[in-house]
Amino acid sequence: MESETYMKALILNGSRKGDRFLDAASDVLSHTLKGAGYEVDPLILRDLKIASCKGCFDCWVKTPGVCSTDDEGRLVPMKMMQSDLMIYLTPIIIGGFSSELKKGLDRITGALLPFLTNVNGEIHHPFRYKKYPKILGIGILPQPDEEAERIFRTLVNRNALNIHDKGHSTVVYRNDSHERVAEKIKALLAEAGAAK
Amino acid sequence: MSSPKKALLLVGSPRGRDSSSEALGGYLLNRLKEHGMETGKVYIHPSMLTERGQAEMLQAIDRSDLLILAFPLYVDSLPAPVIAALETIAEHRRTKVRKEQKLVAITNSGFPEASQMDTALAICRRFASETKIGWAGGLAIGGGEALHGRSLAEAGWMARNPRKALDMAATALAEDRPVPKETVDIAAKPLIPRWMYVFVANRWFKNEAKKNGAQDKLYDRPYQA
Ligand SMILES: Cc1cc2nc3c(=O)[nH]c(=O)nc-3n(C[C@H](O)[C@H](O)[C@H](O)COP(=O)(O)O)c2cc1C
Repeated sequence: MESETYMKALILNGSRKGDRFLDAASDVLSHTLKGAGYEVDPLILRDLKIASCKGCFDCWVKTPGVCSTDDEGRLVPMKMMQSDLMIYLTPIIIGGFSSELKKGLDRITGALLPFLTNVNGEIHHPFRYKKYPKILGIGILPQPDEEAERIFRTLVNRNALNIHDKGHSTVVYRNDSHERVAEKIKALLAEAGAAK
Repeated sequence: MSSPKKALLLVGSPRGRDSSSEALGGYLLNRLKEHGMETGKVYIHPSMLTERGQAEMLQAIDRSDLLILAFPLYVDSLPAPVIAALETIAEHRRTKVRKEQKLVAITNSGFPEASQMDTALAICRRFASETKIGWAGGLAIGGGEALHGRSLAEAGWMARNPRKALDMAATALAEDRPVPKETVDIAAKPLIPRWMYVFVANRWFKNEAKKNGAQDKLYDRPYQA
C-alpha cells in the first residue's frame, strides 16, 4: 500500500471506561499510524449514542445502505467507507470483542448488499461499494491465553472474509511496555501491507 | 423427592417473539417441559435496557439449573446486547458462588453453512468455562432465517431436522447429559438445499425492496468516498 497519498485509518475503540492501558495503547496506535502517513480518526464507541441493531433489514430493503435508526451508529459504516484501514482496538472479552465494539459493528451490515453469493465455497454478501478498508484487529489480554487468542484472531479473519479479504490481528498483553506495543503494531501494519 | 429442575430460555434476538431464536429455543423449552422440567423465558434485549431488567434477568438465571441461550449470528459473533449480557452475568458470578448449572447454546444464521457459527459457539463455550457453568453443547442451524418468524411446527417439512435435533437434545438435557455429537450434526443439516435457499433469499430481498418502493435504490452507495 502506498503511503505517499494521504491514507485514512479509522480506529474503532471498544474500550470500557477507565481502561488506562487501552487508552495508552490507543495513543501508541495513533502515533504509529501517523508516523506511517495516515490521517487517524479514533472513534471511541462507548462515548457515542449507538442503539443496538433491531434486525429489521431496512438497511437492505427500505433505505438501502443506511440504517433506519438515526443515531451515531450511522457514523460507523459512513466512516468505514471513507477509510483505507479499519482497526478494531478492544479488550478481548470471552475470546471475542467487547460489547462496546460489537454494538458499532452490528450497525455496518448495510455496507454490503443483501444478496447471497458464493465466495470461495461459502455463502457471503456481494459488495455494495467498489472498495472496502482492510480490517485489522488489536486485542488486549491480561496475559497470554491460547484459546482466547485463537477465538479473537479467527473472529477478525471471519469479519474480513465478509468483505472477501484476509484479516490481520495482533494480541497485546497488559504488562507489555509501550515499546513492545509499538513493535507489535508496526509488525501488524507490515503484515497487512499497510506500513510505510 | 427432589423438586423439578428449572430451564430458562434466554432469547438473544432483537426480533423477540418473532425471531428464529425464539422458534428454536421455544421448541426445546416445550420439550423440556414434557420431560418434567419447570420452564421460564427472558428476552435479553429489553432486559439489558434497564437496571431493573438486568437485575430480574440475573435473578431468573440464579434460580435456574439449565440455561438455554438462543441467538442469531451477527457479524460472525453474538449480537452486542447478548455480549453485554454475558459480560454482566460473568461479573455477577464473580461475586457470588452459584449452584451447579449448565448452559446449552442454539444459534442460527442468514448464511446457510452451520460452520460459519463455529466462532460464536466457541465464545459461548468459553463463557461457560470462565463462569464455571457446565457446557452442555451448542447447536448451529444454518440459514435459520428461512423460518421467518414461524414456529418449528408451522415451518413443517423444512424444520424437520431442527425438530429432530431438539427432541434428541431435550432427552439428553433432561437426563443431565450434554447434547450428543450426533444431535449437533443433525441440527447442522441445511433446512433446504443451498441453491434453493440462495434463490429464495435473493428473490425475497428484491420483493421486499419493491414493496417498500426501494427497488431502484437497492444498489445505492450513500457513503461513497
Ligand atoms: C446486524 C446483522 C448481522 C448479521 N450477521 C450475520 C453473519 O455474520 N452471518 C450470517 O450468516 N448471518 C448474519 N445475519 C443474519 C441473521 O443471523 C439471520 O437473519 C438470523 O436468521 C436471524 O435470527 P433471529 O430471527 O433469531 O434474529 C446478520 C443479521 C443482522 C441483522
